[in-house]
Amino acid sequence: MKLNTVGKSIIRVDSYSKVTGKALYPQDIYLENMLYAKTLRSELAHAYIDIDTSEAEKIEGVVKIFTHKDVHYNQHGVVLKDHNVFCGEKVRRIGDPIAFVVGESEEACINGMKAIKVNYNEIEGVFDPIEAMKEDSPKVHGDSNIIFHYKLRKGDVEQAFKKCAVIAENTYSTHMQEHVFLQPEAGLSYVDEDGTIVVVVATQYPHYDREEIAKTLNIEEDKVRIINTNIGGAFGAREDITMQIHLALASKTLNRPVKVIFDREESFLAHSKRHPMVMKYKTGADKDGYILAMEAEIIGDSGSYCSWAINVLRKAGVHSTGPYIIPNVKVDSYAVYTNNPFTGAMRGFGATQVPNAAEQQMDILAEKLGISPLEIRQKNIFRQGSTTATGQVLLEGVPLDRCLDEITNQYDAFLELKEFGNIEVEEESI
Amino acid sequence: MKKRGVGVGLSFYGTGYGNGFPDVSNAEVQLMEDGKIAVFVGATEVGQGAKTAMTQIGAETLNIDYKDIIFIHEDTSLMPDSGTAAATRQTYNTGNAIKIACENFNEKIKEAAQKVLELNSTAGMMVKDGEAFLAMFPQKKISYKELSNIYKDDIIKAKGSFTAQTVKMDEETGQGAPYWPYTFNACMVLVEVDTNTGRVELLKSVFAQDVGKAVNPNLVEGQMDGGFAMSLGYTLFEDLNLDKGKMKNNRFSKYLIPTAMDMIDVENIIIEDPESTAPYGAKGIGEPTTIPVGPAILNAIYDAIGVRVTHLPVTPERLMKAIRESEKSEVI
Repeated sequence: MKLNTVGKSIIRVDSYSKVTGKALYPQDIYLENMLYAKTLRSELAHAYIDIDTSEAEKIEGVVKIFTHKDVHYNQHGVVLKDHNVFCGEKVRRIGDPIAFVVGESEEACINGMKAIKVNYNEIEGVFDPIEAMKEDSPKVHGDSNIIFHYKLRKGDVEQAFKKCAVIAENTYSTHMQEHVFLQPEAGLSYVDEDGTIVVVVATQYPHYDREEIAKTLNIEEDKVRIINTNIGGAFGAREDITMQIHLALASKTLNRPVKVIFDREESFLAHSKRHPMVMKYKTGADKDGYILAMEAEIIGDSGSYCSWAINVLRKAGVHSTGPYIIPNVKVDSYAVYTNNPFTGAMRGFGATQVPNAAEQQMDILAEKLGISPLEIRQKNIFRQGSTTATGQVLLEGVPLDRCLDEITNQYDAFLELKEFGNIEVEEESI
Repeated sequence: MKKRGVGVGLSFYGTGYGNGFPDVSNAEVQLMEDGKIAVFVGATEVGQGAKTAMTQIGAETLNIDYKDIIFIHEDTSLMPDSGTAAATRQTYNTGNAIKIACENFNEKIKEAAQKVLELNSTAGMMVKDGEAFLAMFPQKKISYKELSNIYKDDIIKAKGSFTAQTVKMDEETGQGAPYWPYTFNACMVLVEVDTNTGRVELLKSVFAQDVGKAVNPNLVEGQMDGGFAMSLGYTLFEDLNLDKGKMKNNRFSKYLIPTAMDMIDVENIIIEDPESTAPYGAKGIGEPTTIPVGPAILNAIYDAIGVRVTHLPVTPERLMKAIRESEKSEVI
């Protein structure tokens, strides 16, 4: 097919406004008669709380302090509605929002925040997902910290391992990662002439924000309008609500524009992180280098809220084999609550963590078999028509062999550079 | 002592929400007064290039210059829901919705033009560069601007919707077709490990990424470079230093991310294999570009020093500890 536009490297249509600084981000927007707001956040990871705002309300310049009492439906969240708009009874992580101080200036908001009395009744927390899975662990929500268990079963791993010439067994772990997008969260809200609440933010999914605002504030969805400005990076961190409901609530109640700006430290506190995972792997191959079986247990730390944990740990399970044909597979992946910062969507979404295990397993097997890392991959990769561990037939669009060929073509050149470098450095060290 | 190693990493990545979850994108296309065409769509530009790539898909289908498209995606009161800018789904899912909406729009334009041009059917009619005409007798033509003036009160517009096919997995066995399509990639790196300091330096890399069809090759390379840098940071630097739920490294003086000084000139190779269900064959690549780099680095570290690091990140402290532990176990 002859194409005119698709396939051409035209210059980004939004590049001029961005490189010249003309592009507007929420922080750049000011409205007349505008109020400022600050979010009071939990200082403890696990505690029962009660809040007294009476003194803070009297601070000069403080207009109103919003808490859980002001919210119609105090629950939100992308998969499970397990976040509070404002925590009123219990906090589950450091950084949980407790109150929203609205004032005539940022200074008034800060003074107001300092005057809020939060009585914390600290309770035992749990910070290790493996500990959190035990029956007698402190519970973050409800009766169990296990949010989700994905089971993947194909063939018979026990029998298959008996036929393996080589087996690799190892436990791997990954850590929490911050998205570090360029533009920290900021937003502003106002009420339109027709009574519509307008929230100006940088979000990944404006229609979902609208739904969450409408539900929590008990208003019609068409009475909420999200204006999505330029974004400044997201990588998954702008999927969960941060300030949107707070802003809408404040403008709706006060009928004035309200603005919030997070600094970098508050940005770290406010949004999700990448799931840490503990990944216990056992992989076996026959003497010819074909993988026969893989068994894995993957435990993902969801932190204090579910966010996308169910989908993330399912995706980790589905991608746990790597892009290889494995006839016998047994995988159990779990999403677990702890009192750590909450984890959610992040570029790669559960499929980023597992290859750190699966790909090292491949190299260990190759070494045991005395073949190269490329050879073991050549033997086992998905090709057109291959079947995945979930039984899915890959009918088309599987050019992994071509990807592998491209790097294989350069392997010798890389090895040469490796040898050259090692000799040179050794000479230097003498 | 400095030692070099070569490592490879491969990955696959499933697009979309997956697991049978309704994955719907909507788009609307409308003729404007000046003859330009507005595309209304809930696709967020988070920096990935959605606005550009989807304008290209629209321009291709409408057979016009991309500059004649007005892309409206900022306001929920104007645009339909196209799902989230996540799951590497916008180019594939919303790109499909835009293509369908634009195809429907072309038909609407032909119908509108047919009446004005007094043709007895739309058969043989074509649209190009903001004009509708009869291919075998191109004198019979009308511009979009003229059409807009004629159809003032009856605006020419069309809608498009795309739902991705995925299958919910069996609860007991996990069997099913959870994602569609998948993208694939392969990465090889050369690293240099300083065994006295535990520092790992990247020297060279080649990175091949399946894209289906590259809508905008420069933007694809941008994603590949960005994905590489993010993975480099994840694998070697970034550490929140959590202590009982507290992030001790909560600012950039402590939470270290790679800079231009840490990044290398990656040889990006774009592999095209058009996907039949995708708009012009294009698959999403936003997320997969961040996946194979880390495993390649880990395997390269082992190749260099014979020590396997099983816990991320591979900070100098952690690598030195791993080296010492392996020396101890060798003595035993």
